[in-house]
Amino acid sequence: MEQNPRPKTILETCGEEIIRIVTPVSICMLLVVILVSVLNRGSSLDDGISFASMATMAYSESSSDSIWDKLKGALLNSLVFVAVVTVATFLMVLLFYLKCTKFLKYYMGFSSLLVLGFMGGEIAIFLIKASSFPIDCFTFAVALYNFTVVGVMAVFMSRMAIFVTQAYLVVIGVLVAYWFTLLPEWTTWGLLVAMSLYDLAAVLLPGGPLRLLVELAMDRDEDIPALVYEARPVISDAGLGDGVARRRVWREGRGDFDEDQRLRSDRLPDSSLGSYLYGESQSARNIVDAEDGRALGGASELAAPLMQHINIQMNSLENAASSDNMALEGIGLGSSGAIKLGLGDFIFYSVLVGRAAMYDFMTVYACYLAVIAGLGITLMLLAFYRKALPALPFSVLLGVLFYLLTRLLLETFVVQCSMNLLMF
Amino acid sequence: MTVAAGIGYALLALGPSLSLFVAVISRKPFLTLTLLSSTLVWLMSLIALSAVWRAFLPFKTATWWPYSLLILTSVALQEALRLFLWRVNKRMEEMLDAYADRVSKPRLYITDKMQIALAGGMGHGVAHAVFFCISLLTPAFGPATYYVEKCSKIPFFLVSAIMALAFVTIHTFSMVIAFNGYSEGNKKDQYFAPVVHLAAGLFTLANLVSGGCVVGIPLLYVMAIVTLVHCGNTVWRRLTDNRSMETNLQ
Repeated sequence: MEQNPRPKTILETCGEEIIRIVTPVSICMLLVVILVSVLNRGSSLDDGISFASMATMAYSESSSDSIWDKLKGALLNSLVFVAVVTVATFLMVLLFYLKCTKFLKYYMGFSSLLVLGFMGGEIAIFLIKASSFPIDCFTFAVALYNFTVVGVMAVFMSRMAIFVTQAYLVVIGVLVAYWFTLLPEWTTWGLLVAMSLYDLAAVLLPGGPLRLLVELAMDRDEDIPALVYEARPVISDAGLGDGVARRRVWREGRGDFDEDQRLRSDRLPDSSLGSYLYGESQSARNIVDAEDGRALGGASELAAPLMQHINIQMNSLENAASSDNMALEGIGLGSSGAIKLGLGDFIFYSVLVGRAAMYDFMTVYACYLAVIAGLGITLMLLAFYRKALPALPFSVLLGVLFYLLTRLLLETFVVQCSMNLLMF
Repeated sequence: MTVAAGIGYALLALGPSLSLFVAVISRKPFLTLTLLSSTLVWLMSLIALSAVWRAFLPFKTATWWPYSLLILTSVALQEALRLFLWRVNKRMEEMLDAYADRVSKPRLYITDKMQIALAGGMGHGVAHAVFFCISLLTPAFGPATYYVEKCSKIPFFLVSAIMALAFVTIHTFSMVIAFNGYSEGNKKDQYFAPVVHLAAGLFTLANLVSGGCVVGIPLLYVMAIVTLVHCGNTVWRRLTDNRSMETNLQ
């Protein structure tokens, strides 16, 4: 071999942060696709289960309606849903304004308890039924109880190992996304498009609730309490010059204080996840009401991408000057330089891909690539504009576009070519 | 034919790519991003082609010339795409080099550039395998199987998996050859990729006749092996030239 190893190039580490956020998103989508294909096989969904939920309050679809009726019904449902989400978000802003963060934090823990315990339990029962897994109810109850309690602690507390927290967040995303895929087809697509438009409006318009939330949190120099997935921060070695990407600059500023950085990166999951459940509370409420009527809670808050602070701390003091704080929305950077993505984004991406899985796997692959492309575009815009940006619009709209194009155009083409064994 | 058979077919088409991915590409996150973007670009080219040809499909005639026209246009579009990808790649290399200078790290080595080309090619190959083979495998997980009348000795899924493997190889390694050719200005390498791609596409036309897959598929594999060997030679030559250049400079 050579005498001394060659110094490593930037190719080794470039793009690491993006991969650390693309991987859990991909895992979440994969799990939802697997759940959908295992559990929905053989059951006709659109007319079998009349799924009463908040999202189908205005119109419950049946497969015998005409296309125009379905379209109108889906539109109506989506409008109702977005209205509820807007009201819930404004409520959240109000509570945050009145500094009821304790209340919100407890509510978040409670609703993650409901998601993991009840939704997780029901899906586990479906899986056990589908695979004829031999297990008795006492073992199942004990296992479910333990699973739920650890999950609530992971979301609630800050001292949990980061991997466990990340895993539980992905599981919560998978469970909620699976429940959303049980909605009727036109309603789901209408909902996705409506939520991404709402997201766009809520973050960018001056009166939008998410923007208000961000500004409030910025003024107070607090973290926005919500369910956020935070990727593990990339610890770079010293010696980086002022990098092109802002995040490198921030990391550089903290590179001298490795100790502080490590402490802070441990603390961050707490503060970010700790305080309140942005919307989980809403879903919790609905789940409680719904358990009788099997209604699905609106994941109002979950829908909203989460924002986080980017504390540019250039000195060793604990609290940086608030003027340096900048909140980036949807996808953003935590104060340790790691990327954070709101759980609502996970959920809606997975709903899109899960719905595509209900048609065929070709649409799944196409929609997966579209969603990842949208995520990449959003990240690039984020690095460019350094403003609060919503994470849903690009991915969902690209995903819907690719779904339609694949279903209408690509499938015939590929099947025709393959059946004749013609490939290129 | 069962879950085991379905997974078997999937691994047949994508097994080597999976091992290449785990061994080489997953080590460097930038290469994974390159793979994903080149897969997306290939998908978009496929959608564009299907948009154009959708109106004419399914072909009512049994003659071979509409199919050959289809293959010609598809290959032409994808090769034009390869040229476009080379331009983008060059731009990106410049940006990466500038960034490396800024953070005072060494510039991209020749192996790095070839790895980026490999990841790009593998993106194309994986996209081909996924859309032409894997996405049609869903029935294979069930209890029965399916035969095409033109090639009735082996199940359809097996045939498409075998063909997909050949094409994955061709796509992956011809991208390395093409990028090498463009960067060196070597005309032979630059024309290698389109010619091989076109030849491979035209060989599959042999599958239109009954029993033609006995001839078509081995020819396809000849193309794949030619690509592999040529890529190996090119890379070896380039690396030894580079090393001798470095030792001369020192």
